[in-house]
Amino acid sequence: MRSSAISASPVDSLLSGTPLRLIVGLILLTNGFFPALWILFTSLKLEPELTQQPITWLPSDPTIQNYVQAFSDQPLGLFLFNSFAVALLSTALTLLVSVLAAYALARLNLRYRGLILSLIIAVSTFPLVTLLVPLFEIMRALNLLNSWTALVLPYTVLSLPICTLMLVSFFEGIPRDLENAAMIDGCTRIGALFKVVVPLAAPGVFTAGILAFVNAWDEFLLALSFNSSPNLRTLPVGIQLYQGEFTFPWPVISAALVVGIVPVAILIVIFQERVVSGLTSGGIKG
Amino acid sequence: MTMTGSTKSSRTIDGNVTPWWVRYFDPSDRALAVLLLAPAAVLLAMIIVYPVCRLIYTSFFNLSLTSGLPAEFVGFENFQFMLEDPVFWQTTGNTVLITFVTVPGALVVGLALALMANLPFRRQWPVRLSLLIPWALPLSFAGLIFAWFFHSEYGVVNDVLGRFGVEPIIWFNSPQWAMAAICLTIIWKTSSFMALIILAGLQTIPRSLYEAADVDGAGRIRQFFEITLPLLKPSIVVALIFRTITALQTFDIPYMMTNGGPGTSTATLAMYIHQNTVSFLDLGYGSALAVVMFALSMCVTAVYLRMIRTKG
Repeated sequence: MRSSAISASPVDSLLSGTPLRLIVGLILLTNGFFPALWILFTSLKLEPELTQQPITWLPSDPTIQNYVQAFSDQPLGLFLFNSFAVALLSTALTLLVSVLAAYALARLNLRYRGLILSLIIAVSTFPLVTLLVPLFEIMRALNLLNSWTALVLPYTVLSLPICTLMLVSFFEGIPRDLENAAMIDGCTRIGALFKVVVPLAAPGVFTAGILAFVNAWDEFLLALSFNSSPNLRTLPVGIQLYQGEFTFPWPVISAALVVGIVPVAILIVIFQERVVSGLTSGGIKG
Repeated sequence: MTMTGSTKSSRTIDGNVTPWWVRYFDPSDRALAVLLLAPAAVLLAMIIVYPVCRLIYTSFFNLSLTSGLPAEFVGFENFQFMLEDPVFWQTTGNTVLITFVTVPGALVVGLALALMANLPFRRQWPVRLSLLIPWALPLSFAGLIFAWFFHSEYGVVNDVLGRFGVEPIIWFNSPQWAMAAICLTIIWKTSSFMALIILAGLQTIPRSLYEAADVDGAGRIRQFFEITLPLLKPSIVVALIFRTITALQTFDIPYMMTNGGPGTSTATLAMYIHQNTVSFLDLGYGSALAVVMFALSMCVTAVYLRMIRTKG
């Protein structure tokens, strides 16, 4: 394959030399990166190059024209803004609510602790799709269709269980003495929570935040159903508008996709180790 | 939040005198627990408990927002209609098919990816990123990207197949090929999360177990089936349950790739619920369909809870 010939030399230095590991590494990298790379290549090609037979792999004459068009054909900036607003608001709300709940579950001697934890696990497996109809009805009755609130509340509930479970295990790892010392110094219990426990659990809180953000950034069905007005479309909803009834401007769609992938990709690249530990601890515990 | 000023003020006061607000904000454990759990409880009540009741209630009514008529109690009529509705059977069948193909598919691929990623690479980050990127990519984006992959004339899949002498396949014109493309996309998208969970499990298996097996003369394959797989079982079970429940809710990828076509041959139950609710505004029938999906996933959760109980 042509792609392996291209990428073999830089990859070679990354992996230790044995041929087996080289091949395995290439398989892993191709599986993980090829679809995103292919979309990047497509976004740099123009329509005539795209309809050549046989198809070209690397763009022969890279251009950013598709990116310009992606922002001018549709309000891509507005889609990004809405996606960011909804994702950030729901992340903030998720963290606030789950920090409080997780603290109660980790630190206070609750009689029904076991029951509450299994309830949270049950909620984490709840199919939110089935609530499309009643949530649609409720949002419609409250006049909340086409508002950020209509998405922020369900997205918060979507991430609440996994974030709470993650934070419970983080809080349990923080020595109680530190809190007690703060309380002897005159701090209230909640004061101690926000001044001592949360700063110490910051990596955990941050990881939970990334998971909540990615969950909200990715959601499509509720965004499509509740916020269809042009001013409130999020990125996944807006991105389908590039297709006409019979036309699929693939280079422009690809450019819009790349723009949508970049923010999350940056988060993932910078915080990869935390994300992996958060995902797997939540998954194994959940 | 409420508490920020408390430290400074309470330091200045005498041990014996507690102002009313300290007593108010520093309550007993039980009262504090109620206070801390209340926001989560309110949210769950608003977004899950009440809607579930509403869902079951509405499923017994004829409620169409297009007719403008008030809701009319019809008993089990929505469910009886469902039994004779071919689209219901088709979409449910497709959902079950997607679940039965993509859950084991993602498990096998995820296991393979995890075993590969567990090799001692000199640099860990490219491997880790290659598993994280598919997970972080929105499902709807994956649907669009793979629709372009499987394009009959300009798609890279047909290009690669062509190099091996395979005639171009018109993926989205036939129900079977369209379904195959959808399933492959879902497996690609979901296998890396599976791999991350399994990889975390693999890394907790102590090396000494393999060393002991080496001494006993057990081969690599026997070690895999007698050490690796049994010890991975807990993490695999959890990953499988989550994957099964999300597979039952499949919407984004078929919506983006085929929009259910050709005809309704690749439409899922979630797509049919969405169509009845948002396009037809037939909330009664939409609710009845959602009750079916709810029942399906409850069955999966019941199996899950039972496995946890037997585990310990």
